[in-house]
Amino acid sequence: MTSSKTTPLIETIGLNKSYVNDEVETPVLHDINLSISSGEFVAIMGPSGSGKSTLMHILGFLDVPTSGHYNFKGASTEEKSEDELARIRSASVSFVFQSFNLLPRTSVFDNVMLPLLYNSATRVSERKDRVMKAIESVGLTDRATYLSNQLSGGQQQRVAIARALVTTPEIIFADEPTGNLDSTSGTHVMEILQNLHRSGHTIILVTHEQMTAEHAERIIRLHDGHVISDDRAFTRRIAKRGGQIK
Amino acid sequence: MRLHDLSTTALRGVTRNRSRALLTMLGIIIGVGAVVLMTSVGKSMESVILGQISALGPKTIALWPGKNGPEMGAATLNPDFDSIKLSDVEALKRLRTVSNIAPGIFIEGKTTYGTEETDTRVMGASPEAYTNQVVTIAEGRLHDAQDEFDGRFVAVLGPDTARDLFYNQSPIGKRISIGNHKYTVIGVLEPVGTQFFQNADERVVIPFETARIVSGRTYVDMVSMQSTEDPADAIDDIQWLLRRRHKIVPPATGASTDNDDFLVRSSAQAQEILSTVSISLTVFITMIAAISLVVGGIGIMNIMLVAVTERTREIGLRKALGAQGRDILLQFLIEAVTLTFLGGLVGLIGGLGVNALIVAIATRFLERYIFAVNPIAIVAALLMAAGTGLAFGIYPARKASRLNPIEALRYE
Ligand SMILES: Nc1ncnc2c1ncn2[C@@H]1O[C@H](COP(=O)(O)OP(=O)(O)OP(=O)(O)O)[C@@H](O)[C@H]1O
Ligand SMILES: [Mg+2]
Repeated sequence: MTSSKTTPLIETIGLNKSYVNDEVETPVLHDINLSISSGEFVAIMGPSGSGKSTLMHILGFLDVPTSGHYNFKGASTEEKSEDELARIRSASVSFVFQSFNLLPRTSVFDNVMLPLLYNSATRVSERKDRVMKAIESVGLTDRATYLSNQLSGGQQQRVAIARALVTTPEIIFADEPTGNLDSTSGTHVMEILQNLHRSGHTIILVTHEQMTAEHAERIIRLHDGHVISDDRAFTRRIAKRGGQIK
Repeated sequence: MRLHDLSTTALRGVTRNRSRALLTMLGIIIGVGAVVLMTSVGKSMESVILGQISALGPKTIALWPGKNGPEMGAATLNPDFDSIKLSDVEALKRLRTVSNIAPGIFIEGKTTYGTEETDTRVMGASPEAYTNQVVTIAEGRLHDAQDEFDGRFVAVLGPDTARDLFYNQSPIGKRISIGNHKYTVIGVLEPVGTQFFQNADERVVIPFETARIVSGRTYVDMVSMQSTEDPADAIDDIQWLLRRRHKIVPPATGASTDNDDFLVRSSAQAQEILSTVSISLTVFITMIAAISLVVGGIGIMNIMLVAVTERTREIGLRKALGAQGRDILLQFLIEAVTLTFLGGLVGLIGGLGVNALIVAIATRFLERYIFAVNPIAIVAALLMAAGTGLAFGIYPARKASRLNPIEALRYE
């Protein structure tokens, strides 16, 4: 783990992203310079339309920057083909979406199994065990055979989390995971993410709620595609108490 | 992605919407069903007709009075025609290229035994006819050269005729009436079944000489014989001989019609006609198959395109979870092939079922009609069905595999 201290897990240098629709260019991200180490729990905050999801998609290899650099574990990700990006996604990252995105009319078990089908590193004999462990860790063991549409929203999001951790990825990206949930279910989901963070996963959480962001140890604020602040909860807490660092 | 995972995924995609899958497959089901049915019927008919022709023996040649039509099959037979005289038969016997000359005369009149009566064909034929038509004796004996020579009043019965007149009694030695004359039954033939849509077991054979005397005829209704070498040479000789004797100008080389007052055919020719018919039948079936498979394929393509659009979010999700373009491509391709292959299978079973029904009905009328399937046609139809899925599934599958994961996930 010493190497990950010196080489950041995620590093962007002067990253820009703009969308082009009908010859009209819409710049979305401007000169993003970020460095995230392995094991961090980072919240990306900002008002609607500030580019949070866009940034998360680029960091999660679902999209590519228009210009600038994105290095993953010290290696450049430019010039990678779509299939290479798919392999990185399969091996290293997972997503939890605001709208759950479970397969309809498909059991909890099969939904959680889905990423393993595309993960060549997992042996077929291990699959069942890993799926059941993931389901257990979100407390849905008794619902494993239920179809996805027979669950409550909070339960569906927990299935999505189980699906995200079944491949034991290095990074879990969560885009407004509590956005569609009531506060009790939201708290439950955040607790699970906290536990994952404690067990060593890198968590990158996108949210526009301060309350939710407080779970993270670092908050990156975006505004109109610019990073306007990047501070650590540790620093904040000290500041709140009116104390000094060190 | 492993092949096994791919196929279970694809199969779930198919079974998720069963009624639509079935409707999608309809074109393929009908196409394959029609092909299987028609090739089976064709093969059954072929076996009926081929069975009759091969029963005649490959070297058998038949000669009738009559006029040739523009096509080989369209000749007109005229039983009252008197063009083939007894002297022609004697002349034929001198040809080297034919042997076993057996002239025949049909006799009018009812066949009766006591109060029992049947309506059968009575033919006076020389004993050589038994060899030419490959019939054998079941009971008693066939008539021989001595019966011929003496012009005896003896008769050999077909098995159905024997049963009609005598039930379970043995007819041997019994005296039957044909027209105004009485005949002693000397034998009963082995059954041969239907020949050219007539029941060949319903017949009575008497010596040719007897028939000639009774009818007072100087001409014959048919002559059967064997070619000693190539049947084509034999036919040339017969034509040459009869044209010369009947003073008929031979047709110009290559002409399709002639002025002959006789028809001569070899069983080899009959087989040729049959194979021409079965080739055109095959071409016809292949065209139907091709059309219905294309129509079915377009249906498959249409439904797969709908499925790709409907499942855009699913595709985006799978990609976000690590699916590569190839995984998505194969998933949709296997889905399309599964649809068409299953359709082909259902069509196959349906086609065989209808064929079994036809067989059940047809065997009541055609004794040699058997349940025949053309295994090559079945394999070809299934392969074509699967190939249709491949050909028409590739476009939607490519489209799916190229979706951008983010845009796909956003799709409403
Ligand atoms: N495909 C696209 N084409 C053009 N513009 C786009 C596209 N996707 C996003 N944008 C624009 O990029 C900007 C940032 O969008 P993004 O989804 O990243 O915002 P966000 O911060 O996640 O907002 P929210 O909190 O509402 O989810 C928006 O102005 C949006 O209109
Ligand atoms: Mg967003």
